[in-house]
Amino acid sequence: MSNLRYIILLLFIFLFNHSVHSHHAFTAEFDANAPINITGKVVKVEWINPHAWVHVEVKQDSKKTIWMVEGGTPNTLIRNGLTKNSVKPGTVINVRGYQSKGKLCLPRCIANGRDITFPDGRKVFMGSSGTGAPRDGSDPRER
Amino acid sequence: MCGLSSGLYELIIKMLDFVVWLSETKWSIGLRESLYLYPWIESTHVLSICLFFGTLLFVDLRLTGRVFSSLSVAEMNRKVLPLTLFGFLVMFITGLLLFYAIPIRNYQNIFFRVKMLLMIIAGINALFFHKRMSNEAKVWDKDSFIPGSMKSSAITSLVLWSLVIIAGRMIAYNWFDCDRQPQPRWINTLTSCEVDYSLFEGIDGF
Repeated sequence: MSNLRYIILLLFIFLFNHSVHSHHAFTAEFDANAPINITGKVVKVEWINPHAWVHVEVKQDSKKTIWMVEGGTPNTLIRNGLTKNSVKPGTVINVRGYQSKGKLCLPRCIANGRDITFPDGRKVFMGSSGTGAPRDGSDPRER
Repeated sequence: MCGLSSGLYELIIKMLDFVVWLSETKWSIGLRESLYLYPWIESTHVLSICLFFGTLLFVDLRLTGRVFSSLSVAEMNRKVLPLTLFGFLVMFITGLLLFYAIPIRNYQNIFFRVKMLLMIIAGINALFFHKRMSNEAKVWDKDSFIPGSMKSSAITSLVLWSLVIIAGRMIAYNWFDCDRQPQPRWINTLTSCEVDYSLFEGIDGF
């Protein structure tokens, strides 16, 4: 019978582990009720694992705000048709996504990117599938 | 005590220079920008954790004296410990590479620091544990008795390594990263982030 107690203990470890895993990156850090739609000039690209970051400078009236937009891994982005060179600094892009839970924008605003639209109208999905982000149609593979 | 902790703090700050240098090396950049290598290393790290912890579970539970007791401690160790050591080796190397790929962010991540601390404690426990086990396992088998201190050491090992894995998983969350401000000052001290506090003047609750 004492073996049963250990099996229950092990189950607990696995259950806890599961709850950590289902705590998706999206809901832990971003607000599904705060969609953003920004247009601006790329000022910096961090083409890095496990998430790339595109820094976009948004001008509103005379105020400049830097948005740090999170994308998928370099691998996912290349599969989606986005390379380090297609978002070179200076490129003007429109980004749709969701803002982080913290909204103070100090020193920068942070968002999870869903898709990028280029001036020629080309649209690229920049997130990762299955992260728990809202199903807003920006991910072409999502059903 | 105060001198020791301020000395430690200075060391941590000094090591930041080294970490910054590390992040600018060619291979570090190559790893973090890689399309395949980084995910492969990351997956291997997770799989080797499974091998390491999965086999450690057998060794540690056997030492509690309540599970797998039909198998002698010496035999369990002979069969299982080589796998545990192999798992540890792969886990350690891939872990180093994962750190090397993203040095600054990892170094200043609060969960990474907690993990390192836990690993040091788990390592000390393991050293004590292993030395005594290899000397005395045969005696315990003969007397079918395992000393209480060994049992608690085995449980400590399981608890510590579980916490190491949980802390490791949490490194992925950037809630306390230097670029996520404002944070309480004590958090920025623990992560040794340099922050311009004048930006936050007038913000409620800060």
